[in-house]
Amino acid sequence: MTAMTKLKGLATVAGFAATLFVGGATVASAEDITLTMAVPDWPPTRIMKKMFDEQYKPASGNKVTLDVDFIPWPDFYTRVNASLTSGEQKYNFAVSDSQWLGAFVEGGYFRKVNDLIDADPELKATMEQMHPAVVAAYSTYPHKTPNYYGFPQFPDVIVTYGRKDVLCNDEEQAAFKAKFNAKLPCTGEEIDDMDWDMFEKIGQFFMRKKGDKLAGQVLDDDFYGIAYQAGKGYDFSSMQINGFIWQYGGNTWDETQIPTGQAEGVVNSEAAVKALDHYLRLIQYMPPVAKTGTMDIFKSDELFREGKVAMNLDWIGLGEASLDPKSSKVSDKLVFGLMPGLRGADGKIIRWSNIGGQPFVLTTWTTDAQIKEAMGFVKWWLSPEIQHQFAAGGGQSAIKSVYEDPKYVTYRPWNRAWAASLDWQKDVWHVPQFFELLTQQQDQFDLAITGKQDAKTTLDNIAKFQQNLLKEAGLIQ
Amino acid sequence: MTSTTVPAAPPAFTAFSPDNWRLALIAGIVISAVAIAALPSGVAFWITGIMMALVAIAATMNAVRRRYYGGLLVAPAIAVLFVMNIFPLLWSLGLSFFAYQSNQQTIRFVGLNNYIKVLTNDLAAKDNWAALTNTAMFVVFTVAAQMVIGFLLALLFSKQFPLRKYLLILVLTPMMLSVVAAGVFFTYYYDPTFGILSYIMREMTGEQFILMDNKAGAVAGIVFADAWMWSPFVMLLVLAGLVSVPKYLYEAAAIDRVSGWRQFRTITFPYIRGLLMLALLFRTIEAFKIADLVILLTKGGNDTMTISYHLIRIANEQNKTSEGAAISYLMLFMVIVLTNLYLYLANRRTQGN
Amino acid sequence: MVDKVSIWEALGFRKASGVGEAGWGYTLIVAIVSFIYFIPVLMIIFMAIKPQDVALSVPPTLSPTSLFGLIPDAYVFSPTLENFTSVFSRSMTAGGAPEDTGFDRYFFNSIVIATVSVMLALVIGTLAAFGFSRYPLKGNDTYLFIILTTRMLPAIVVIIPVILMFRVAGLSGSYIGIILLYTAFNLAFTIWMMKSFFDELSLDVEDAARIDGSSEIKVFFKICLPQVVAGLAATFVFGLILTWNEFLFALLLSGTDTRTVPVAMNQAVSSGGRGTDWTLLAAIETLFLIPVFLVTFFLQNHLLRGVTFGTVKR
Repeated sequence: MTAMTKLKGLATVAGFAATLFVGGATVASAEDITLTMAVPDWPPTRIMKKMFDEQYKPASGNKVTLDVDFIPWPDFYTRVNASLTSGEQKYNFAVSDSQWLGAFVEGGYFRKVNDLIDADPELKATMEQMHPAVVAAYSTYPHKTPNYYGFPQFPDVIVTYGRKDVLCNDEEQAAFKAKFNAKLPCTGEEIDDMDWDMFEKIGQFFMRKKGDKLAGQVLDDDFYGIAYQAGKGYDFSSMQINGFIWQYGGNTWDETQIPTGQAEGVVNSEAAVKALDHYLRLIQYMPPVAKTGTMDIFKSDELFREGKVAMNLDWIGLGEASLDPKSSKVSDKLVFGLMPGLRGADGKIIRWSNIGGQPFVLTTWTTDAQIKEAMGFVKWWLSPEIQHQFAAGGGQSAIKSVYEDPKYVTYRPWNRAWAASLDWQKDVWHVPQFFELLTQQQDQFDLAITGKQDAKTTLDNIAKFQQNLLKEAGLIQ
Repeated sequence: MTSTTVPAAPPAFTAFSPDNWRLALIAGIVISAVAIAALPSGVAFWITGIMMALVAIAATMNAVRRRYYGGLLVAPAIAVLFVMNIFPLLWSLGLSFFAYQSNQQTIRFVGLNNYIKVLTNDLAAKDNWAALTNTAMFVVFTVAAQMVIGFLLALLFSKQFPLRKYLLILVLTPMMLSVVAAGVFFTYYYDPTFGILSYIMREMTGEQFILMDNKAGAVAGIVFADAWMWSPFVMLLVLAGLVSVPKYLYEAAAIDRVSGWRQFRTITFPYIRGLLMLALLFRTIEAFKIADLVILLTKGGNDTMTISYHLIRIANEQNKTSEGAAISYLMLFMVIVLTNLYLYLANRRTQGN
Repeated sequence: MVDKVSIWEALGFRKASGVGEAGWGYTLIVAIVSFIYFIPVLMIIFMAIKPQDVALSVPPTLSPTSLFGLIPDAYVFSPTLENFTSVFSRSMTAGGAPEDTGFDRYFFNSIVIATVSVMLALVIGTLAAFGFSRYPLKGNDTYLFIILTTRMLPAIVVIIPVILMFRVAGLSGSYIGIILLYTAFNLAFTIWMMKSFFDELSLDVEDAARIDGSSEIKVFFKICLPQVVAGLAATFVFGLILTWNEFLFALLLSGTDTRTVPVAMNQAVSSGGRGTDWTLLAAIETLFLIPVFLVTFFLQNHLLRGVTFGTVKR
């Protein structure tokens, strides 16, 4: 600590040298209250800012400004991380991926909000209305303990995107029936009941070459059955693979079991190996870019929008673009359903999936006056009326009274899958070491996806690395 | 440099004069140290600043009175570089001897442990060495490609011909692109479904073509994009050398019937050697830092991880600041050795002629 | 001397004469090579004028015109300027009305920051280069090498101290901070380039002037500087190209008001809740290319006459 202080003293000196050239600094206005917020630049945050500017009236009567720093998604973590860890103390609010919680809570950047929730019965009631899976993933650290940090900004799940025009085509329906003696899922309800075997069959069935026929028309380019994320970047394979592993009864390293929960033996359990094998097997029915390890959530979405695949599994958050005829060739042919699951021995589908989406979080250097206004804003944001507006404008809500309202499913075609999906969402680790765990895991999964090593070796490597790292960090005894 | 008057003698150490920079420096350090130790940081900040200004004024006065023109001219550049570049570099050098993660509030001195870990730890070191080998490979391939292509392009443009000016700017354009945009567009050109490359290959062979699904292809893809962007830089430097060769030398050579190769070696080459060296120096330094294209094109997949991308992961994503600093200083050491080798060889050749 | 330059001559149509001059046949060869080299850029420019729905069509559309039936229809797209308008104004929410994207500001920022910092680096760096060349200090080469080492490490290494320094000095998000940083960023290259130019100059003229009683300042401004104008132009262009496209410092140190185009450009890489918006990205890049393209074009003659210096000494 002292060495750090000295270094900071040095920085002071050098910083001064810089001001010598400059001769001044900017001074914030003291009259009004400004809340500075770091958010990724995309419609759910743009809408929030717009709604705030147009509608928000602070109860306190102060003039509150929401100064939103829209940062392009690809650089969002880099920017927020650098700002927080350098001690820049620039933001009062930050949208944070749920995985980041531990790293920034332990660092002392994210403010615990239990006292604020307890002080406000209305807010407390709202929090209780929130779906528990969302609260666990977005708010709690350590995971699933009653220590709250965040509020949902945009909650998200993976759903199935389908193309009605090929799935419901009579010729294709008949051919599928003849080949597999099963009905090709066509409606949302049929897709809801789809398991991985059916998904695989669809993949196999719709592999077509240039010149073949698809739904009665001659193809001018290759066509592929299915797509899901299989990319090396960020979490663009783990988010899908985790679902498989949980459905097979395997597990990722469980942070709620600290310090007795192990990585070795759990992460590379037989069930997990089977699950990963299953995940890898489906890749042969996907567009060729999957073989390069760069088929991330954006690429599979792009292939779907360009009409190159029959079905795609992707986040709801990417849905708007597929509805827009300017960016989507399939905008009028869409059908949505639940993400597939694994059919158990009893014929019921076992479902688990990894939750996506982001909470927003208060930072520790936010002043009392700012916190007061910030909480006013949060309450306004989570109020049913505003949440309805947000959902109507393309957002999602995790508040029970909102998403159970019959109006909710009419906002967007994928909303029919929303409420049902929430019940089986889990999340990856929130420990400060998450990025190391994630990077190594993604690297290993990439080797498996590009065919350089088998599922067993991959999971063994991951388990060994996690065991080692977490033991060193004191999280495994 | 000749001077007509004799410069004034340096002032005695204890003399209280505006050009006694030594006294000013000592006083500045003592007062600043006391201020930092005793006063709140906001006040200490300004006091330290005033002291630094005083020292600077004294040093300047001293330089003017003693005619240290060299020092005077160089000082502003050194000052800016020191504050914006060298000081942060020294800071991170310091951090490399501590166990420090930027997202945690603890720090402790560990001596050379970070360096030892980076080089020998059986979990961390393997990745570092792999990334280093790949970086060396990229340096060799990209720099070699840039030098060759740049050189050939320069030869092509060394003659006077109609419309030269307009064709030259076409070739110069790639280096003006933003690396991010260029990289993103190369992912499109290489894309197996939408890309032009796979389309052409398929029209020609009838087979599906995926460039980036193996190491050779991935490396080729990255090297091509990088070489394409930066060959114009080499070209421009070489071209400048080529056009500066006095024409009478060639005319004389033509009369003496000197062979083309010998003409190149004895007349042309001496004029471009220095420029080639400068191009090589700057391109090698840049090539060691290659990360953007790798991130955009492969994310380090197919064994294309480079040390600089690895560093971004460690120092930024994972916040392992001091470990990152250790890696970067090892990297700096290697680049310094290499550039010194270049410069040594360049100078030896020069003297040899 | 002919005092009137015909339009043909201005365009480069000159009669071939003397050693090293070639004719139209040679032009054709170079034109083919240059065109091939230019194709990836051309495809970005074409992408910028494509309608959004054919951006990723297979087969790729390659030309806005069929060139009188030379190119089959499958490869031809109908050009549009829509993408350029949407750089500055488009809907940022699902189905919302078009709004100001702030790109006019980002372009302004990029121009101001790059121009000022490169000019500043040129002034400071030229002075230093002159110092290093004419009044060698003790350990001159060591200083020069240390200056070079500032370019050797990836920016990520120094970023944390720099952010902290900026906060303490109140420079975060200001023009001055980022300009000073870019000045430092450009100094190494500027000093090395300009020193090489000064080293090349003949000392005889300077010494003669000194003997005639000219002051050192006069020698520098009246004798040395005019001889390296071309070098200044070359260094300016190289510095501009590097600064213009710098990304990491801009990302981490610019505020919402001082954001530059390379940072904002990533809006189009992950655009509106989807992946790359190809036509938008291409439109931004094309617009972003124009200023530096024009500067390079008009300084091109200097670039060729300018970058001439001796060997690198250590």
